[in-house]
Amino acid sequence: MNDFFSNGLQGFGPMLVQGTWMTVKLALLALALSLFLGLLGACAKLSRSPLLRVPATLYTTLIRSVPDLVLILLLFYSLQIWLNDLTESLGWDYVEIDPFSAGVLTLGFIYGAYFTENFRGAILSVPAGQLEAATAYGLSRSQRFRLVLFPQLMRFALPGLGNNWLVLLKSTALVSIIGLADLVKAAQNAGKTTNEMLFFLSIAGLVYLLITTLSNCLLKYLERRYNNGIRELAR
Amino acid sequence: MTFKRIRLGALLFSLCATAAVQAKEWTEIRFGVFPQYPPFESVAADGSLQGFDIELGNAICTKLQVKCTWVHNEFDGMIPALRARKFDAIMSSMAVTPARLKQIAFSDRLYLSPTSVIVRKSADFGDTPESLKGKQIGVLQGSLQEAYARAKLSQLGAQVKAYQSQDQNYADLLNGRLDATVTDKLEAQLNFLTKPEGANFKSGPAIKDPTLPLDIAIGLRTTDTELKALLDKGIAAIHADGTYALIQKKYVGELDIYNE
Repeated sequence: MNDFFSNGLQGFGPMLVQGTWMTVKLALLALALSLFLGLLGACAKLSRSPLLRVPATLYTTLIRSVPDLVLILLLFYSLQIWLNDLTESLGWDYVEIDPFSAGVLTLGFIYGAYFTENFRGAILSVPAGQLEAATAYGLSRSQRFRLVLFPQLMRFALPGLGNNWLVLLKSTALVSIIGLADLVKAAQNAGKTTNEMLFFLSIAGLVYLLITTLSNCLLKYLERRYNNGIRELAR
Repeated sequence: MTFKRIRLGALLFSLCATAAVQAKEWTEIRFGVFPQYPPFESVAADGSLQGFDIELGNAICTKLQVKCTWVHNEFDGMIPALRARKFDAIMSSMAVTPARLKQIAFSDRLYLSPTSVIVRKSADFGDTPESLKGKQIGVLQGSLQEAYARAKLSQLGAQVKAYQSQDQNYADLLNGRLDATVTDKLEAQLNFLTKPEGANFKSGPAIKDPTLPLDIAIGLRTTDTELKALLDKGIAAIHADGTYALIQKKYVGELDIYNE
């Protein structure tokens, strides 16, 4: 294996491994943020109060209609320029939006909108009688969510969540444009230096395939788990 | 759920708190670079930067006794990133063009990057733009050379074809589909003419045209006049003590890319 890294990849093995780690880290943190925003957004969208419903609807509508790349560039460059103007006028020191935070925040923010719709659909799919029964049993709000709503909504949400996760994972490649040394960037750098772009991009492709295959296995497991007690229909 | 909530809270907090403070005195210069342009800037196997620009930049910083740091950035996003203060200077083989001068300032010249016509050694054309009448000319898509060829050479009666990469120009030059390619002279010298497949080809003289800029320099914010003065001093210093000549010899051999 060591031999393969030093010779087969012309010494660029460690750089590719670091790039892969960066991609995984970025994707997982963005996933955590977007799941959080998604649950929050879904609850807000289903709320009776227009004060919650209107901003949540604006959020999902706007974010889902603007390309990821545009949002990343906007956040990384324009937001930084506005922030500079603000800190300068207040006489503060320069505050940097670093590429990693910008990447996590933007991806989390974008995919939060998709997850919102995902969760909203899932919540609506849980029969209303389930929550009414939970209330009738005297469960508190958090118990109702934790014991009754969440396990059932996950069953409906998982297929969509899995889909969005795969898209999110691949979207991390977009952050290479703001200078983050993710897998694609590492492959491009290696390809340009050695003049073997195709070879290194193929390696990057294989690594993405490996990660998505692993996450598919995990998703299968989760789907089985949240389908406990539900008879599987003939496929 | 509680656990998840705490973790996410901590994450959000730490993300918001990433702030860097920058000194007012120039004790550190952050260079923006797009390291996919060997031999001027590229990434070595160990992840470090290498190339002509990198060594020039580091030599300038050594002379000025300031710290040099390099920030990777996409070439397309260089000017917005400079203005957003992601770094202080662009050191990435950037040519001085009128359009760029509207947005940013430039240091003194780092080196020249003339455009020339590459033809077979046996060809009796290529020395002047007029001699390209009726010839098949290849250019790199989106380059300054393409803009020049479409504006000027087409009018003189040349057939202009644009390719996705400069390598494709050389491939078609070799198999005879092209009579000439109009490109960066230095690029041709380093990536084609000195290689075995380019042995039967030669470069014409540099094309003089106002749309083809010559100077490669360090890009700077227009407001940082004292940084420009500092860097110009550094460039002069590495010329004076021969460091520039040494680095030039290492990367381009006997060529004089500062004066030629």
